[in-house]
Parts: sequence; structure tokens; C-alpha cells
Amino acid sequence: MKKQKFISLTLLIFTGILLMAGCSDKGSGEGTSGSREAPSEITYATTSDAAGLSPIDTNDSVSSNVTYQVYETLFRQNPETLEAEPLLAESYETPNENTWEIKLKEDITFHDGTPFNAEAVKYTFEQLKDPERAAPRASLLEPVESIEVKDEYTIVLKTEEPYGPMLASLSHTNAAIVSPKADKEGNINKKPVGTGPFVFEEWAEGDHITLKKNEDYWREAPEIETVTFKVVPEVSTAISMLETGEVQFIDKIPSDHISRVESINNVEVQKAEGTRVSYLGFNMEKEPFNDLKFRQAVSYGLNQEAYVSQLNGLGLHNESIIGPKVFGYNEEAKSAGYEYDPEKAKQIIQENGYEGQEVTLLAANRDNYMKMAEIVQSQLTEIGINASIETMEWASFLDTARQGDYEMTFLGWANSTADGSELLYPNLHSDNIGSSNYMRYDNSEFDQLVEESRTSVDQELRKEKLHEANLFAIEDAPMIVMDHGMVTLAHHESVDGLVVDPTGMWSLYPVNRK
Amino acid sequence: MVGLIIRRFLQLILLLFGISFLVFMSMHIAPGDPATIIGGPNATTSDLEAIREEMGLNRPVLVQYVDYLRGILQGDFGYSYQTNQAVTEAIITRFPTTVKLAITSMIVAVIIGVLAGIISARKQNSWADVTSTTFALVGVSIPNFWLGAMLILIFAVNFQILPVGGLSSPFYTLEGMKELILPAITLGTASAALIARMTRSSMLEVIRSDYIRTAKAKGVRKRPLIWVHTLKNAMIPVVTIIGINFGTLLGGTIVTEQVFAINGIGRLMLDAIAARDFPVVQGTVLLVAAIFVVVNLIVDIIYALIDPRISYD
Repeated sequence: MKKQKFISLTLLIFTGILLMAGCSDKGSGEGTSGSREAPSEITYATTSDAAGLSPIDTNDSVSSNVTYQVYETLFRQNPETLEAEPLLAESYETPNENTWEIKLKEDITFHDGTPFNAEAVKYTFEQLKDPERAAPRASLLEPVESIEVKDEYTIVLKTEEPYGPMLASLSHTNAAIVSPKADKEGNINKKPVGTGPFVFEEWAEGDHITLKKNEDYWREAPEIETVTFKVVPEVSTAISMLETGEVQFIDKIPSDHISRVESINNVEVQKAEGTRVSYLGFNMEKEPFNDLKFRQAVSYGLNQEAYVSQLNGLGLHNESIIGPKVFGYNEEAKSAGYEYDPEKAKQIIQENGYEGQEVTLLAANRDNYMKMAEIVQSQLTEIGINASIETMEWASFLDTARQGDYEMTFLGWANSTADGSELLYPNLHSDNIGSSNYMRYDNSEFDQLVEESRTSVDQELRKEKLHEANLFAIEDAPMIVMDHGMVTLAHHESVDGLVVDPTGMWSLYPVNRK
Repeated sequence: MVGLIIRRFLQLILLLFGISFLVFMSMHIAPGDPATIIGGPNATTSDLEAIREEMGLNRPVLVQYVDYLRGILQGDFGYSYQTNQAVTEAIITRFPTTVKLAITSMIVAVIIGVLAGIISARKQNSWADVTSTTFALVGVSIPNFWLGAMLILIFAVNFQILPVGGLSSPFYTLEGMKELILPAITLGTASAALIARMTRSSMLEVIRSDYIRTAKAKGVRKRPLIWVHTLKNAMIPVVTIIGINFGTLLGGTIVTEQVFAINGIGRLMLDAIAARDFPVVQGTVLLVAAIFVVVNLIVDIIYALIDPRISYD
């Protein structure tokens, strides 16, 4: 009797669960397959929340993904030609090497109705440079000495010395133009106001950001009505959501997950050569890493192919520091490095008494840095160097590496302007020791070449100088390239027109849903 | 009882004071500089200095701490370095989600755990007992993140009967309940297993005691014997476990919220630690500590309610 009651109770509970599951089947089937959804909506899964929505006050790729849709820059880099093309600008002239006279497009308004003109540009750039505002990318316009309004639609930028990467800097998402009225009266870091194809709607911090179509966009209005940036910290969860249709696209897919994404039926995967470079860096202020012989031996002993082959197609082996998708690349640099030759490596090690040398590889526990460290460790062992690995989480790592408290480490550079000067200058110029020059590389000959690439406005000459500087650094080997990254994006098959460019950015302006 | 509550609250204030000091100092001593996170890897030295200056991070640590305490006394827990949102606001918007998740998981854990424990104890060494103790062993051993990922793959991706992530609908709606099922099971499993083991051993001990034998001899029927005489007396250690577990559960929300893309306190704390967002870390740690203490106080009160021999006066 009692047993019967217990069994019937259990059955009742199970029936309840099944019923609920049954209901959910219908409910979620509609909600998640996308059939109920208006085809003009799109949801993107982002691994973390935006830090802010003001291009002046942020400097992270997650925030840029949002601001890129809301704000616009004077120029935008063409992903094919790698050259800057006018966007909010109409044209530009350089009457002399230190003057950039930029004509702006007319009849454009910000989302709050403020007219876009030279005053707005002047205001934005002055805010970006203002030490009180402490803009994280103030350095973009550091060489700019004065900003003058010539007439309503002409702005004149003057530099102390010629500044070659000017157009690349003006194309950077953090140099996007903001509405002066909105910035003065409100907080554009919370409620962004730009000229872009999408208008800010809502930000539930930590959960999602919603944008709406800009009906009054100065070009033809976009087809997508609503864009949602949903925060999904776990990559595997984001992929599951892509599979069930809860989100329509994801990007920056880690190499460990790419095969799962590729196996999903109704999902299309884009993979393209990117501007990101990952490298092994030596601390040039410590022995024996400051000895070229030692670095050469390590270089000969490294087989990057072994590492790249573990990336499931998401990396390319190329010895050039300036990658193929970055301004200043020259095919000649591709195999200018020290080709894998373990015998030669062993020989140099023995000749210079480095046999059994103890070294520590510092690796951050994110991206592919641990994988790099393990492979490099085993390859170093083969040529007679005893390497041990020290791992750290990102914040501690950045701090430690910046202080030069390491021997050999692994880093990457996203190259968001896709300009070689903006790679070699921050990473290897002696001006940046203590900040982005983690190797603490200090070589006046190299510095000179990089400066020449920065201070010329003749783009052909810049290319030559960058190539020279690139070859110089490859030979001197303060860093050894591990791989040039691929940019990835996976979207539901109903999404059309979404293209990831080599810097990893994408615009939702040309996108529609089938 | 009133004395106990007052005493505990005074202790709580002292405790929170101590915790705030420890957390503040450990965050500042630990490697990792908030400015380098905000500036990113490509910020120049002058960019970083400007950021530190703006956030007041270049002042002596003790000065910063005193400033922080002064703020707290005025109800101001500071602003997030990352988003500039007020810490209280960041917590208030996320707290209900975490509470919803923690309580649902606890209910799941208590129902499954106590029932399984009773069944095991009543039929010691039967197949039901073996099944339940095996479940308990597996339950405490499975890592949260793995269980969560597996449940997503099975119920959301393969069968498509439950959503993958988020707790965005109100819990009283069907959508809201469906969203809660997988995270609550993920978070509650380990607690359920612990509670089951504790209930079983505690019940077995009580069942063997003299007064139960006496009750049996006097002809008390089986059901009241188990539910009234045995269970009530076996509950003290179980309630302790439930109380302590609630604290662990709050810790567990960090992983569960991460896996299920839930915007709660756990994830807020995790993101803040990774970004060295000191004010947010301090605010959330203080909150969790306070909850832990309060839950333990409630446990003490429940003791007195279920065992008249316990008195705090």
C-alpha cells in the first residue's frame, strides 16, 4: 500500500517533468529555431561585456565591436588594399609634410540631431588628447600639435614632425567622432551618440546591449532593425547557443573549438588571414638573452610549423614580423628568419657554452600562450637548453612582463590599425620600454628606421623603411614570430553580408537576413 | 535569542571590517595593475600614468583604504574602474538573479538530498541505498562546469527542450522556470549529494538509538517512527550541512553563472578579479561574507527550533 503510494508519487513527479519538457519543446522550438523571429534581428554572443561605449574612453576590442556600429571615423581602412579611404571625410590634402587638411562630408547629423562638422571633429580630437580625460588611446593623436577649424567642413591637423601613419590613426575605432553636445551634456560612455548606421537603445550591464537601425543614416539605412550583443562568457556555451539559434553569430573562435563549430549543419564559418601576430620575446636586458648568438640558437631550434599545425588551421607560419595583412609587408621577409635547423642550434649552443642553460618561459594562461610555451619548452630541451614554464593569469602577467621581470615570454599584437609602424614602434622602439616594448629592445639603428617610417608622409617610402626595419628586427631577433593569426567568424546560414576583416572587426551595416 | 542576534550582528560588523581590510590589502599587494588592464597591452607609459592619476591609484595604499572606509560609512562603495558604474548599483541589479539561482538550487538539493538519504537509511544496503550512495559519490565528485556543459549539450543542443543560457525572464513564467532548470541542477547536485550522505548517516545513527527501539517496542507505526521520531532528531547535522553549503553554493554560482551566461554576482566578482576592478571585488566579497554570516545565524536559530534542548539564553 505504502509502496504503491510512493510509486504513484514518483510517477506523478516524472509526468510533471515530462509535461513541462513537452511544453518547453513547443515553446523553445519556436523561440530558438528563429522561425518566429523577425528576420531583421540579429544577436551576437560576446565573451565579455563592453567596458564602455565611448571611443574616447575605451580601448578594448569588445567595446570596439559596439562602437564600430554606432560611431564613424574620418577614414576607414579598406581590408583589400590596406589603404585608408574617406568615410566621414570627403578628401584630404597635405599642403606640406606637417599639415593635413581634411575636407568633411556635408549634411550628416549625429543621432541626437547635432550637425557633424569641423567643430565636432575638433572637439573629439581635443578630448582624445586632453590629459585630464586620460583617454587610453591618447597616443593615436600624440604627434598632432594643433587642431584648427578652417571652415565649417574643413579641419586642419598640424604635426610637429611629419607623421606617416596619420590616416591609419584616423581610421582607428578609438578616433571615431562623437557628438559634442551628447558628450558635454551626458555620458557617452553609457549612452553613445555617433553618426553610424545603428543607434544605441539599451545597455543592461553584464547582460546585453541593444542597438536599433538608424532610420536617418546619411547613406542608405541598414536592413537590420535590431542588434543585440549578448554577453556569454563561456565559448562552449556560445557555440551551443549558435547551434540552437539563440544567437546568430560569434567570432574569435579558439582553435580548440573550431572543428565543433565547423561540424554544425546550418552554420557557416569564415576564416581569413588576420593582422594579429604572436611571438616569443626575449628580455633584452638580461643575460644570456641579450646575446645574439643565444637568440640565434633558439631561433634555429624552433620549429614553428609544429606549433602552427596544432592550431587547426587558425594560424600561418611566416617569419616576417610585419604580417601579410599589414601595411609595410614585403614577400621577401617571409623566410628571412633563421630556418629550423636543430643541428646548427646545438652547434651554436655548444660553441658559446650555453649547454644546459636554465631558462624560464613566462606564459599567460589564456589564448594559445600555454600551448606555445609547452612546444617551445620541448624544442629547447632538444637543443640542450633546460626550460621551465611559469604561468600567470592575465593581469599579473601584464604587470610582470611590463616590469621586465621575466626571461622569455609569449605575446601577441592585434594590429588594429593594420599599419606596420603601429606594430614596430610600440613593440620594439626604445621610446616604449616600460610599456608596450616588453622585450626592452633598445637599438638606435632600428629606432631610426622606425622613426623614418613614421615621419614620412610618402607611403611608398614608408613601405620601404618598414621593410628595412622588419628585416633588421628579424635578423637581430629580439622576438621570434610564432604565428600570424587567422580571423574567424561563424554565423547562422540566414545571415548574409557579414564579413570579418583582417583586424577582426565587422560591420553590421551591409548585413541582412535571408 | 534576541541576545544572540544582537551579539551576532556586532560580530558581523567587526568581521566585515576585517574582511574589507584583508581584501583591500591583498588586492593591492597582488600583482596586476588596474591601469594596465584599462589601458590594454598597447597603452604607453604616459597613458598609464594618466589613468592611475585619474583613478587615484598612485596614492599610498593606506590613504586609499581610509578613503574607501569613509565612503562605505556614507553608503558609497565606490565606482567600478571598468565601467564607472556605482558598485551598489552593479550589485543590486545582479543580486536577485543570484539569489533566485541559489535558492532554487538549495531547494532542489534539499528535496533530492533528504529524500535520497531517508530512502538509503530505511533500506540500508538495498539496491535503492546502493543507487543513492553511488549518486551521492558521483554528485560530489563531478565538477560544476563539466556537469553544466554536459546538461547543455544533452537538453539544450540535442533534445532542444530547454534554453542554453541566461536567466532573463521572471521566474514565475514558464520561460523563467525553464531557464532555471539546468543551472539549478548544475549548482544543486553537489549539495544534494552531500545532504544525502549526511542524512543517511545521521538517520542510521538515530535509528539505532534506544528511544527508537523503545518506540518500536511500544508499537509506534513505521511512518511516524521515521518522519517524526527519527528524522527530526537526525536533522541537526543536516541543517548544519545545509547552512555551510549555502555559502559554498554562493561560491559555486561563479562557475554556474559563467557556464550558463547568467548575469549574477558570481560573474560580476569573477570579471572584477580578472580586471583588478578593486571596488567591485571588495563590494561583492563583503556581500558574500555578510550573507554567509547571516545564513549561519539562521542555522543557529533553526537549531533551537528543532531541538528544544538547545537554548542561547
